[in-house]
Amino acid sequence: MQHRRFRDTATGYALLAPSLFGVALFLLLPMLVVGWLSLQNWDLLGPIRFAGLDNWRSVLTDADFGRSLLATAGFVALVVPLQTALGLVAAALLARGLPGTGFFRTLYVLPWICSPLAIAVLWRWILAPTDGAISTAVGHRIEWLTDPALALPVVSAVTVWTNVGYVTLFFLAGLLGIPADVQNAARLDGAGGWQRFRHITLPMLRPTLFFVLVTGIVSAAQVFDTVYALTGGGPQGRTDLIAHRIYTEAFGTAAVGRAAVMTLILFALLLGVTVIQHLYFRKRVSYDLT
Amino acid sequence: MTSRNAVVYVLLAVGALITLLPFGLGLLTSFTSAQQFNTGSPLSLPDPPTLANYLGLADAGFGRAIAVTAVMTAVILVSQLTFSVAAAYAFARLDFPGRDGLFWVYLATLMVPATVTVVPLYLMMAQLGLRNTFWALVLPFMFGSPYAIFLLREYFRSIPADLIRAARMDGASTADVIVHVVLPASRSILVTLALITVVSQWNSFMWPLVITSGSSWRVLTVATAGLQSQFDAQWTLVMAATTVAMVPLIVVFALLGRNIVRSIVVTGIK
Repeated sequence: MQHRRFRDTATGYALLAPSLFGVALFLLLPMLVVGWLSLQNWDLLGPIRFAGLDNWRSVLTDADFGRSLLATAGFVALVVPLQTALGLVAAALLARGLPGTGFFRTLYVLPWICSPLAIAVLWRWILAPTDGAISTAVGHRIEWLTDPALALPVVSAVTVWTNVGYVTLFFLAGLLGIPADVQNAARLDGAGGWQRFRHITLPMLRPTLFFVLVTGIVSAAQVFDTVYALTGGGPQGRTDLIAHRIYTEAFGTAAVGRAAVMTLILFALLLGVTVIQHLYFRKRVSYDLT
Repeated sequence: MTSRNAVVYVLLAVGALITLLPFGLGLLTSFTSAQQFNTGSPLSLPDPPTLANYLGLADAGFGRAIAVTAVMTAVILVSQLTFSVAAAYAFARLDFPGRDGLFWVYLATLMVPATVTVVPLYLMMAQLGLRNTFWALVLPFMFGSPYAIFLLREYFRSIPADLIRAARMDGASTADVIVHVVLPASRSILVTLALITVVSQWNSFMWPLVITSGSSWRVLTVATAGLQSQFDAQWTLVMAATTVAMVPLIVVFALLGRNIVRSIVVTGIK
């Protein structure tokens, strides 16, 4: 017994060794490094110098950073509700189980598996003011990406277009998981379509809804490729979402210490969202009706 | 009831059209000559269809970018899956001190968003002298993924203990057990993880963008972005680039669509 335990321990750590190395070096250490880096000045090439709280002070009083946080919040507030609502509608249509449904379900996920960067470049042409697809079809110039009022909604729309199929899949799985008996019983009791949706479907979809909202927020708050290729953060910083701001700060203006501060702020915000998710799932009401 | 079904089909078809139209337009433009695009209507059908744009990509170094992307994806896929399987087996099937604590640490790292590690990883790679090398592209992702380990562990725990015990009685080593008992029983989750890894690595952009420069280790997404900013008005060429960046995954998708759909629901992540 003692021998077997020793053997298990040796084998266990031998099997864990590579992933332990990876987790320690590429996931845990970076968290320490970014904290340390937030107290340093570094321009990517020269020596690293201690800066105390200077980076924190300058980032927290930086109007551009505030604008970037606001743009990110606006983006999340546009993207997440829209993609959730459209995903729910698409899932409700697919859940009727008409022939050919599987084809549509697969088709809708197509934008989501493609490279977000390539998709953004594709849309950049479609939205181009002179020779783009939409301007050509409409017959006159529309400054989709350079009009300060239009840019953020348009970038949001492209993101929604990309994500809807993905959201649909989860709602479809949730809808198909609701026992037909429950719906039938409600129907026999005289509940109409809207009443059944409101009092049966929606409550039973709550865990799915929560999952879709939380993952939607966490990923929308980190969107980078789409902004990089569509607008580069413009016009006037209207689409300068936080991931793009961090990138520009670190690799554009070479203020790596400030980028580290912004990274930590983004991390704190996302951690908050994730912690709420975990608290929720621990307390979540179970709808096991057996 | 039938008219209701008709409405459902119409709505589903509208959704399909909105999904496909941008891809279709981009594809057509990629086969249009630059001259036709500039003088005629940008939306007219290619007449005659030309491969000139794709040949132009070859001149812009896309051949190498495709190769780098493919090798990077393959290296990460094989090593990440191998090391994840090893770790998941240890967590699922072996009993040793520190196991549960370490598993908790792995789980905690799931809360670290990818964007957060870019700046510190850049500094680490710079200090190691690995900027603009192939190693910088693959190292951070090679040693297993906590999420894959988490999913595999769940799966491995559901394999009947008798199966493993029987193999042990026949004198099988741990490696034999993993290769001949555990892996064959876990085929579906392995396919799932492989697909997810290929999609996310083939499409990855931010990390390759910051850690490589010049053309030697440029991946397809970075090359596409570079081409777009260099030849902003040459949309026929740029559309050929986006097509090349997307087609391999679309082909995989067409072959394994059903698996991918299931994979997304199982893993919930890209």
